[in-house]
Amino acid sequence: MEQLLAFIGHYMFLLFGLLAVGGAVALVFSKNAVHSVVGFLFAMLNVAACYLTLDAEFLAVAQLLVYAGGIVVLFLFVVMLVEMTKYKEKGLFQLQTPWAVGMVVVGAAAFLGVFWKTWFGPNAKVALTLNEGIVGTLKVGSENAQAVSRGLFADYLLPFEILSVILLVALVGAVVLAKTERV
Amino acid sequence: MMMESALSTPLQSPLLWLIPFLPLFGAILNGATGRWLKNNKVVDLIALGSVGVSFLLVVYTFIQLMGRAPVDRSVVQTVWTWLSFGDARVLGGVTHNTMAWAYKIDPLSACMGLLVTGVGFLIHLFSTGYMADERNNGQYYRFMAYLNLFVFSMLNLVLGANMIMMFLGWEGVGLCSYLLIGFYFDREYAAVAGKKAFVTNRIGDFGFMIGFFLIFMIYGSVDFDTLMGMTRTILARPEITLFGATHAPTWWFNLIGCCLFLGACGKSAQIPLYVWLPDAMAGPTPVSALIHAATMVTSGLYMITRMNFIYVNAPVALSLVLGIGSLTALVAASMGLAQYDIKKVLAYSTVSQLGFMFMGMGAGAFSAGMFHVFTHAFFKAALFLGSGSVIMACHHEQDMRNMGGLRKYMPWTFASMGIATLAIAGIFPFSGFFSKDEILWKVFEGWYAGGSTFSLVAWIMGMVAAFMTAFYMVRLMVMTFFGEYRGAGHDPHGHTVPSEAHHATHDDDAHGHDAHGHDAHGAHAAASHDSHDAHGHGPSEVPWNMWFPVALLALLALVGGFLNIPHSLHWIGSSHFSEWISPLLYQAHAHHAHEAAPAMEYILMAVATLVWAPAAMLLAWVWYGADPSWARPRAFVKRFPELFEWVNAKYYIDEFYEAAFIGPCKQLGAQLWAFDTWAVDGMVNGAARGTLVVCHVCHWFDAKIVDGLVNLVAWILQQFAQGFRKLQSGRVQNYAFVMFLGFLVFAFWKFLA
Amino acid sequence: MVSMNSVLFISFLLFSVGVAGVLIRRNALIILMCVELMLNAANLNLVAFARHAGTVAGQAFALLVMGLAAAEVAIGLALVVALYRKKDSIQVDQINLLKG
Repeated sequence: MEQLLAFIGHYMFLLFGLLAVGGAVALVFSKNAVHSVVGFLFAMLNVAACYLTLDAEFLAVAQLLVYAGGIVVLFLFVVMLVEMTKYKEKGLFQLQTPWAVGMVVVGAAAFLGVFWKTWFGPNAKVALTLNEGIVGTLKVGSENAQAVSRGLFADYLLPFEILSVILLVALVGAVVLAKTERV
Repeated sequence: MMMESALSTPLQSPLLWLIPFLPLFGAILNGATGRWLKNNKVVDLIALGSVGVSFLLVVYTFIQLMGRAPVDRSVVQTVWTWLSFGDARVLGGVTHNTMAWAYKIDPLSACMGLLVTGVGFLIHLFSTGYMADERNNGQYYRFMAYLNLFVFSMLNLVLGANMIMMFLGWEGVGLCSYLLIGFYFDREYAAVAGKKAFVTNRIGDFGFMIGFFLIFMIYGSVDFDTLMGMTRTILARPEITLFGATHAPTWWFNLIGCCLFLGACGKSAQIPLYVWLPDAMAGPTPVSALIHAATMVTSGLYMITRMNFIYVNAPVALSLVLGIGSLTALVAASMGLAQYDIKKVLAYSTVSQLGFMFMGMGAGAFSAGMFHVFTHAFFKAALFLGSGSVIMACHHEQDMRNMGGLRKYMPWTFASMGIATLAIAGIFPFSGFFSKDEILWKVFEGWYAGGSTFSLVAWIMGMVAAFMTAFYMVRLMVMTFFGEYRGAGHDPHGHTVPSEAHHATHDDDAHGHDAHGHDAHGAHAAASHDSHDAHGHGPSEVPWNMWFPVALLALLALVGGFLNIPHSLHWIGSSHFSEWISPLLYQAHAHHAHEAAPAMEYILMAVATLVWAPAAMLLAWVWYGADPSWARPRAFVKRFPELFEWVNAKYYIDEFYEAAFIGPCKQLGAQLWAFDTWAVDGMVNGAARGTLVVCHVCHWFDAKIVDGLVNLVAWILQQFAQGFRKLQSGRVQNYAFVMFLGFLVFAFWKFLA
Repeated sequence: MVSMNSVLFISFLLFSVGVAGVLIRRNALIILMCVELMLNAANLNLVAFARHAGTVAGQAFALLVMGLAAAEVAIGLALVVALYRKKDSIQVDQINLLKG
């Protein structure tokens, strides 16, 4: 059992990752918009889980709050607003779909080809494995939030404030954009 | 006296140029201002004044000449250099010739100058009276201008110092004769006669030019003095080669003589170019007097005398001159026998007398021939002007059958014309005797002193012509002045004919009588003449300015003979004229006085003046004067009707010329015109069409190809634009796609390179 | 424990699916969601590298990206709503007024 858990723990990330990819695929290739949103939600959840496996708990929770809680809900609202629940779309895919897919595949292949050595080369495993010594500094577990907040409010305060401004702007902009025309 | 190279010391005179140029200025003044001024008296003054002053100048120069030694008798003036050219290739090498506008008065040209200006002045005076109609209708100034122009040209001819001046005058008098003969240019036959005169003269001028060119080629100069001086040298050469032909000098001289004589035939109306002179009577009578009696027709003779150095050494040419002269004298005299128009009789008489002059030249007697020129000028001008007076008095009647008995009405004219008739018949002591009989004697001597029988034949022809001359002149006098006046309807013998004076086509009638559709009788003449002097009842003497010149000329005809008494009659006087001009004659050999029988000469002279001419005159008197009904002439005509018709029609020579020469020329002209219209205009039109075709091709080229290229460029651009337009679909997704594509390309390029 | 390899692999896959979705679908909402996917993939990468390098900056940065993504989604959806109001459809094909 422990070995199984250890095994699963080893490859937990991959599991969640693939699940996220599956959700993404469902998002892209489903006919129903709501299905797409659900797929999206699924993907977000799984990405949060990925974060967890990567020792970023705060981020995982933030992800859940922001994405799965806020953004997905927003999407759902809009889906319902445009009444896409009722009917299926005509013509899901673009004319350029074959070309686009082909291109993406080519790009992917190329990318993989470029990074093959890095990923699957002889030293890959060594290079890409996390150094044990560093793990301690991350202060995971009980101290991840502290560490992140320290970083956010001390080192990167300015971007944080600017982000708040951006959020304000986005808020105002969204209101303005979505307003109905008054005669 | 042998002639050496040049006259020793000619006198330079600054005045000579005025002699011809005064009439020229008169002509220009009258011609330019006459119409505008409308003042006939001013025209008279200018015209008469200019010729008169010229005459005085010639007299002055003549007196100067008389005062000089015979070898020095020459007054010259070079007015300007006319032609000056570089090397002209002539016989013997190369000559630098300068042809100058120069005048020379020497004994011969002085006499001719006196004649031209003197007789010219008298004729100008006569015209002031004769051209009374023209004074009223505004054409007078033109006539006077032309007369002055004629005097200018004639003076150039006779006073010129070289052949080119003579040629200038030669052509000028031809032109003026055209202008004057065709003075009434609105009448067709007058215009035709003018043209005929000019064209016939031009044919002669062709011969003159050939002779002129040959002289220049051989001598290298055209100046008379030079030519005279060089002749001996030229003759001394064994042979001369021109244009590839090689002959003895005499052969060339013969050729030159014949060519120049062709020119003289045209100007002086010899066979075959005499046909213009009878038709020239279509001009006004003063013109006939001036040109065709006194001056222009004598220019040929003047030319031969000037060129005597050629002719004396050209025996063939001289024979030609003699033959043609005698033939002309005979034929023309015969034609004069059957004419009824008073002016035509005189015209044929002129041609015949010119023939006599040429006979004299042909016999080598240059001075005799020239002397006859002067005496002929006197009596022929008197006769012409007198006939003009007669015509005027009979209200422009010219047919002698409608005249008669004018002796009572016009005594002065009758007397003058009578004297002139005696002169022309050759009665002693009138001037015609001395000149004409001298000529006949020289011709006879040519045979008698051992020459060829040709001279005898010529002499016989001349004697017959003299007989005829006396006959027709007396006929003229009798028909015109004796008997009863037939013009007023009083015609018991039925001689009158429908008078042309009342026809629309009358010669001298300046007013159109065309309006009168008149049936022809002279009886009604009087009523239809509106603007003549109102003589409804018969002719009367003409005013003083018309009978005075006639009388003066007749006086000269009376006494003029004493200027050149032949050597055999030396007790009467001396041969002034011959001596006067002898320095100008080229002496080939020493002049030997003909010891050969002055007796023969006396016999011939006596026969001619006492027997021959009086016989003719008597015959004419008997036929026409004694019997007013003219029974004998009429019987003669009835017996030989065709003969009479033939002679009356001038042997149909005009018709022959028309058929043989003029007709073919006109046809050739028509052919050439057709060619021009067809070919030349065809070419022009063809060029036009060709241009049009080229234009069409160019247009096609421009429209299709050039525009096509431009359109092609636009089309290509458009296709590109169509292609590029698809890129801008307006859809963001497409743009995202392209961006991704670009990123891939970039990545590939960067990382794979 | 977790090799970088797999993280990179997964994030790469997620990213390419997101790209494919952006390029393929006509529905504006789906496209926006795919954009979110791409952002998430980037976030994963950030976190992984942060962990690998022993610093927390990556996580902070990923947080910022997340906030930004939220703002962007808000704007995007507002746009979609406005678009829907105008054209009564959210097919991006029909937004081609700039078509040349």
